[in-house]
Amino acid sequence: MSSSTKANLPKIIHEKGAYHPINQMRDLIIDLLIDLGFEEIDGPEIETEEFNFDMLNIKKSHPARQMHDTFYVNSKSNVLRTHTSPVQIRGMLKNNPPFGLISGGKVYRKDDDATHLPMFHQVEGIYVDKDVNFANLKYLIHKIVYSLFGDGVKLRFRPSYFPFTEPSAEVDILSNEGKWLEILGCGIVNPIVLENCKIDSTKYSGFAFGLGVERIAMLLNGVNDIREFYKSNLDFLKQFK
Amino acid sequence: MKIPYADIVKYIPEIPSIDAISEKLFQLGHEHEVEKSIFNIEFTPNRGDCLSLIGILRDLALFYEIKKDFPIFPDKLEKLNLNFIDNTDNTCTFITFLKIDIDDKILDYKDCLKSYYEQTDNLKNNFFTDISNYISYETGQPTHCYDAKAVGGKISLDLEKGKHNFQTLLDENVELFGSNLVFKKDNEIINLAGIMGGKSTSCSENTRSVLIECASFNPEAIVGNAIKYNLKSDAAHKFERGVDPCCHDFVLRRFLKLVHDHANVKNVQIFTKGNSAYKQTNIKYDIDKISKIIGIKPSEELFSKSLTKLGFKIDKKLIHVPSYRNDIKTLNDIAEEIARAIGYDSIKSIPISIHSNSNQSKNLNQNFLRDYLISKGFFEVINNPFVDYCNEYSIEIDNPLDIKSGYLRTNLQQSLIKNLLYNERRQKDSIKIFEISDIYQIRNNEVFNEKVLALIVSGRVGKNYLDFSKIVDNDYINDLFKDILPIENIKVKNILREDLDTKLKNKIYYCEIPMNDINIENDLVLKNENKEFLKIKYVPISEFPSSNRDLSFSVKNKSKFKDLENFILSYKHDFIKEVFVFDFFDNKKNNEIKIGFRFIFQSGTSTLTDIEINNVMKVIIEKSITIDGVSVPGYEV
Repeated sequence: MSSSTKANLPKIIHEKGAYHPINQMRDLIIDLLIDLGFEEIDGPEIETEEFNFDMLNIKKSHPARQMHDTFYVNSKSNVLRTHTSPVQIRGMLKNNPPFGLISGGKVYRKDDDATHLPMFHQVEGIYVDKDVNFANLKYLIHKIVYSLFGDGVKLRFRPSYFPFTEPSAEVDILSNEGKWLEILGCGIVNPIVLENCKIDSTKYSGFAFGLGVERIAMLLNGVNDIREFYKSNLDFLKQFK
Repeated sequence: MKIPYADIVKYIPEIPSIDAISEKLFQLGHEHEVEKSIFNIEFTPNRGDCLSLIGILRDLALFYEIKKDFPIFPDKLEKLNLNFIDNTDNTCTFITFLKIDIDDKILDYKDCLKSYYEQTDNLKNNFFTDISNYISYETGQPTHCYDAKAVGGKISLDLEKGKHNFQTLLDENVELFGSNLVFKKDNEIINLAGIMGGKSTSCSENTRSVLIECASFNPEAIVGNAIKYNLKSDAAHKFERGVDPCCHDFVLRRFLKLVHDHANVKNVQIFTKGNSAYKQTNIKYDIDKISKIIGIKPSEELFSKSLTKLGFKIDKKLIHVPSYRNDIKTLNDIAEEIARAIGYDSIKSIPISIHSNSNQSKNLNQNFLRDYLISKGFFEVINNPFVDYCNEYSIEIDNPLDIKSGYLRTNLQQSLIKNLLYNERRQKDSIKIFEISDIYQIRNNEVFNEKVLALIVSGRVGKNYLDFSKIVDNDYINDLFKDILPIENIKVKNILREDLDTKLKNKIYYCEIPMNDINIENDLVLKNENKEFLKIKYVPISEFPSSNRDLSFSVKNKSKFKDLENFILSYKHDFIKEVFVFDFFDNKKNNEIKIGFRFIFQSGTSTLTDIEINNVMKVIIEKSITIDGVSVPGYEV
C-alpha cells in the first residue's frame, strides 16, 4: 500500500488491554527487590498450621489463629495462608545463610469491609547473614520506600509487635495532607524462628519485612475503596494501562 | 483503650503537654489518637501490661519521673473460710477472693472514682461493680464481684463441656457450647470465667456483702470465647493478653481502700490459692549482643538506666524481668526495650548489600503471557477463590464468610463468567479478560493446587473499523495462541447463555490452560518496565449509564479527510467518554470517503438526557461541516 493511500485511511488503533493494578504493583515491588539483590521464591496458598503459625512463633493462644480470623479448610487440617511468611519458612529450611529471599502473592483473612478483604496480596522479604542488625534493616527500608514514594518522602519507624520478629517496627510515611500513613511492617527475625528453621541463631541473624500490596496501590494510585480492585470493572482496569 | 490526659499528668510532676506525651507514646510504639484531651490508644497484643493507667505510667517512666500515688489498705487481712475447688488442669495460676461487708450508707463518689465516671463515657452500675471497673482501668487487673449472699460459701472452677444456658449480668442469654471455663455454685454456672459474670450472683445497688474474685487465668483458657458468644468484655481482652500474676495483693488492697473511702467497712477477709509458685524470668546481661541486634552500642548507663526505669532489676550477670512483663523472654526483647528508649528514628541506618543466587523473576512464562494478552486487548482480572458450588474434588472451607463462599474453586470458569456479565451489564460490547491464578483440589485426602491461565471473550473483536463488525469465535482464540502454544493445549469452550442471567445473544468463549503446559521460549520474554504505573491517579468511575451516538460523514474533498478525523478524535467534552472510527469506505468510483464515528457519552454526575447529548452532537456536526467537502448525509442546517 502506497503512503498516499495510507494517508487516506483512518488510523487503525489496536487497543491494548491492561495489567491488573495489584499485579502491577506486586511486580514492581518484586522487581525492585530483585534489583536490590533478593531472590524470588514461591509457596502454596493452602498451608499447614505448622508453617503458617507454629514455625513463626505464633502461639496457639494468639488471636490470629482463631476461627474468626483464619480460614480453615479440609476439616481443620489446613489453613489458607494468612501471610506470605510461611514461604519464607520454606525458603529458610532449603537454604543456608547468607540468603535474601522474597515472596509475593495472595493471602487470606476472615475480613470483609471497605478497608479489609478476605483475599489480599503481600510481598515479604527476609535476609539472613552474620551480624545483620536493625540499622541495616532501616537502610533497606529507606531504599524501598524512597523507590516507591519518591526520595523526598518523610518516614518514621514505630515499635510494633509481630511474633516472628523482635524488635519489630511499623513504618509510616507523611502524606501531603500531613497525616502519617502506615505502609509496612518489619523487624529483626526472632531467634526462635531461626532455630525452628535449623539456623544457628548464635551465629546468624536476619531481618524481615512485609508490605500489603493493596495498601501501597491505594496510597499511590489514589483508590479509596479496596473493593474497587476486585470488581473486574473494565472502566476501572483501563485506567491502569 | 481510653485514658484521659488529666489522669496521666496527675502522676507526672513535670506536667508535660498533650503533644509531648503523644510523641513519647509513639516512640514507645503505642499508636493512638487524641480526642477531647483523651488518649485513645491501641496497644499491640503483646503489651497486655499497658492496658491500664498504671501500665501506661510504667512505660512513660522511661521519660518522666512518676509519682506513684495509689494508696492501699495497709492492715493485715483475716483469712476467709471459703470452700473453693479448682477442678481444671492449670487454667488458673493464682486466684484470690476478698469478702467485704459494709454498712448501708454509701457516700457520693469522690477523687479518682468521681473523675473516672465524669471524664469518660463509662456508665455507673452499682457500688462494687463501679469500683471493680475503675480498678481494672487503674491497675489492669479485672476483678469480678459476686453478691456474697447469693454465692454462699462454696464455689468451683470447672472446664465445662457441652450445651448450657447462661444468663449474663447484662441480662443476655447465651447458649454455651464446646469447652468453657466457668465458675459454678453447686451445679449452676455463675460466671463465664474471665469474660462475664452471671445474673444470678451479680451485685446490685442493694449489695452490702461482696465476694471479689481476682484471678490470673492462662490466656489459652480464655482466648476466643468472648468473640464466640459475641460478648464485649474488657476482662477477656485483658486476660487474653496476660495479666500480672503477682498483683493480687496490691489490687485487692487498692479495691478495699476505695471501698473504705466511700463506706464503713464492717468485715473483710481474704482467700488465696496458687497452683504453682511464680517463676521470674531472668535474662543474661549481654550488652554486646544487644548492640549486635540494634546496630549501635548503647552506653552502659543508658542501658541500665532505661531498664531500671521500666521496672527491670539488673545485677552483674542477670536482668530480672518484672512480673507484669510477660512479653519479655529473650535478649531480643531486651534489645527492643533499649531501641524504644533510644527511639527507633534515632538509630542511624547502616548500609548493607544483599547477595542471592538468582536475580531473575521466577514467573517468566507467566509474565510473557500477560504481556502478550494485554497487547491483544485483554484485561487482567483477579478474583477471590471462594465459590458456592462444589464437585467431588472441591475443598470445603470449615468456617466460610457466608454460605456463598463455602468452597475453593476448582476452575476459573464461573469467576470469569461473573466478570463478563458484570461488564455486559455496564454496556460493554467487546469483552476480553483473563486471569492467571491457582485452583485447588483434594484427591485421596491430599490437597493440590495448580496455576492456570483462563480467558473469556465475547462481542466485537475490536473497536477499530476493521474489527468492529467481527465477532469473536473459536478461531479467534486458536489464532491468538497458534504462534506461542501447541494447538493440542488449547481447548475452547462455548459457554451457553441459556444457563446465565442475561438476555444478550453474543456467543461466549472460554479457555483454561494449566501453566505447566505452557513453555515459552526464553528469547521471547521481555521484562515489563512499569515504573510509570506509580504516577497513575485513579479517577472514580461514573455509576450513571452511558449512551452511544453514531455519526457518518461524507468527505468529497479527500485531502481534507484527515482534518475531519483529527478534529473528531481530539474533540473534548465532559460528557464524551470515548470516540472512535467504527466504519470506513473509500468509494474510488465517486471519489468520496464515507466515515462513521461512534461517540460514547457518560456523565459522572447524572444520567444524560437526549437533549443534552444532541446539543453536543449538534456542535460537533456544525464544526465538522465547515471543513471543505465534509457533509452529514440527511443533516440540514
